[in-house]
Amino acid sequence: MKEILVLAEHVDNKLSPITFELLGAARSLADKLQARVACFLLGYNIKDQIQALFSAGADRVYIAEHPELKDYRTLPYNKIISDYISSLEIKPHIFLIGATTTGRDLAPRLACKFNSGLTADCTELDIGEFDYNSKTDIKRSGLYKDCLYAIRPSFGESLKARILGPWNNPQMATIRPGIMLPIKPIENKQGEIIEVPINLTKNDLEIEIIESFREINNEIDLSSAEIIIEGGYGLANAQGFDLLRELAGCFNNASLGATRKVIDEGWMPYKYQIGQTGKTVRPKLLIACGVSGAIQQRIGIQNAGCIVAINKDACAPIFRFAHYGIIGDLYHVIPELIKELKEF
Amino acid sequence: MSFLKNIFVLIKQVPDQGSKAGVNLDGTIDRAKARRMLNPFDRYALQAALDAKKNYGGQITAITMGPPLAIEILFEALEHGVDNTILLSDRSLAGSDTWATSYALKKTINYLGEFDLIFCGLQTTDGDTAQVGSQIAERLNIPQITYCEDFKIENEKIIARRVIEGGHQTLKAPLPCLITVANSYKALKYKTIHGAKLVQDIMREEEKKNKYIKILNINDIKANPDFLGIKGSPTIVSKTEKISEISGNCKILKGSKELSLELKEILK
Ligand SMILES: Cc1cc2nc3c(=O)[nH]c(=O)nc-3n(C[C@H](O)[C@H](O)[C@H](O)COP(=O)(O)OP(=O)(O)OC[C@H]3O[C@@H](n4cnc5c(N)ncnc54)[C@H](O)[C@@H]3O)c2cc1C
Ligand SMILES: Cc1cc2nc3c(=O)[nH]c(=O)nc-3n(C[C@H](O)[C@H](O)[C@H](O)COP(=O)(O)OP(=O)(O)OC[C@H]3O[C@@H](n4cnc5c(N)ncnc54)[C@H](O)[C@@H]3O)c2cc1C
Repeated sequence: MKEILVLAEHVDNKLSPITFELLGAARSLADKLQARVACFLLGYNIKDQIQALFSAGADRVYIAEHPELKDYRTLPYNKIISDYISSLEIKPHIFLIGATTTGRDLAPRLACKFNSGLTADCTELDIGEFDYNSKTDIKRSGLYKDCLYAIRPSFGESLKARILGPWNNPQMATIRPGIMLPIKPIENKQGEIIEVPINLTKNDLEIEIIESFREINNEIDLSSAEIIIEGGYGLANAQGFDLLRELAGCFNNASLGATRKVIDEGWMPYKYQIGQTGKTVRPKLLIACGVSGAIQQRIGIQNAGCIVAINKDACAPIFRFAHYGIIGDLYHVIPELIKELKEF
Repeated sequence: MSFLKNIFVLIKQVPDQGSKAGVNLDGTIDRAKARRMLNPFDRYALQAALDAKKNYGGQITAITMGPPLAIEILFEALEHGVDNTILLSDRSLAGSDTWATSYALKKTINYLGEFDLIFCGLQTTDGDTAQVGSQIAERLNIPQITYCEDFKIENEKIIARRVIEGGHQTLKAPLPCLITVANSYKALKYKTIHGAKLVQDIMREEEKKNKYIKILNINDIKANPDFLGIKGSPTIVSKTEKISEISGNCKILKGSKELSLELKEILK
């Protein structure tokens, strides 16, 4: 039976949303292939999370538990996963990993170990055939069935490329967080648990974590907000958000959002962060105030129905993908806008 | 303090996204037509390499793999103060994916010999995978720290802060180590007077050019051609399409009045 493998991610032994998203994506591919879904879980004292993986769609869980695996580190995770998969006679057909700061650190190394192709930061997946006939690449030409179609935005998000790697299993991709849908949890679903051997050497442990700081992400439902008023570093201080709150008050049910720079400054808590290391949002309307539009920010907001940018710099990258823009000082533009909106 | 010997920095030339020239609809690039630039993310890697040299000594070698024209970014690196540069250029490299690219760059690094630190950009603006750095580290069998925004070296170990979801993490790793530098690292400073002068001289004197810019092909680095180019790449781009929704058609409004009218329409 073919296997679709996903990597579980967790923070302080709590499974991250990407884990459920990957399982959801794997489930729908598995149904097309009549395959099973497996999940690789590395950590320490983490067995109590296994049931949640089964409920979220896994048929099988590979578990590696060791004190050195408590938090993600490149080398030990790389070693254990690659040793195990290399030992299998039949490799997983597909291996999906989150395009998180963890997944993008690890997946390229694993792909090298397996000589697998790796498609980066995918937003769509599918299964299909590939009829390859190349005049220069005769050895690999032929018809390939059941290929992973990994689809990703490219060139500053202006193109969509479908990338395949049918020649070698596992076929690998990293998946952008916040895009794939988890399945509805199936309570009490059973599955198979397989303990993975752990052989770590001194070299695998030579990177030390001195400190990790994460603000815990209390769920506020930015991901399902219809209207978002987002503030960036251009607000210049935390009080700037008072103005944005007032603007939000002009709409029904608008939420606030912020860029990472704002979070790093401590002006807003992390739960408001939008972008690659924050939330992916898809509101009908997003008004970005004093946001430059860096690539890691763009990833989080580009699915908005309408993006309005207010920025004093006409060359800010956000004007390259916003739908509407006002070039001006937000401290002039927004009070005026509030007045206009209130008059209606 | 001066105990580093060799610092490598990997840089790539990319099409200038500001100008649409030369980017074909199918995603391939007509490199002759496209306006070219140093990958913006690699500017941070260059600055990190310069900082490492300033604080801990050593010689910086900038390495790029690309067509002959990619020599332009080596001039730029020299202007900023790197000591040596390498251009790996060979027809058989064309079409390499990250697996093949990392193989070629690894062989180039092996050819150059020992090193303490390798700096890479976080990602490029064309392929945009953020994979090549980690793959080189894997092939060299050395530790890596990705998404690095700050670093120092103490007792022959690198201590670096990296970006993670919702915060930061500080890691300590032995040397040699590969670092991918985030765009939240310090911006690249101005060119140096010395560097600018050097490049002027290089343009005039062939001999000087050969001293500062070494051009290698795949035989020099003893790379196996089966692992290079389209044939050596485990991925293939089977189809590309333009995404139309967001494509730079921003309507610039004059003021709040116009905007509030548009908003009424949008939210109807
Ligand atoms: C691995 C990694 C992950 C990241 N993840 C994220 C992420 O999840 N989310 C995220 O947002 N960023 C993320 N970043 C950071 C990202 O690269 C940018 O640094 C960040 O998005 C910039 O935030 P900003 O737009 O608020 O600030 P800036 O880039 O400083 O932009 C401020 C803007 O405000 C404008 N401005 C200033 N004053 C005014 C005024 N009075 N009126 C109007 N406009 C004004 C300026 O013209 C400027 O364009 C990440 C970076 C890395 C390396
Ligand atoms: C539309 C499109 C999509 C693609 N998608 C994929 C994909 O999903 N998977 C895949 O394997 N390949 C993909 N490729 C191929 C990929 O672009 C090439 O392999 C390329 O040679 C390197 O990858 P990158 O530009 O993504 O580099 P990244 O991995 O983003 O670069 C990270 C850093 O590595 C260093 N580096 C990268 N290339 C060079 C170089 N030539 N010389 C010196 N240093 C360098 C730089 O420091 C750079 O900042 C894609 C190409 C295109 C055009």
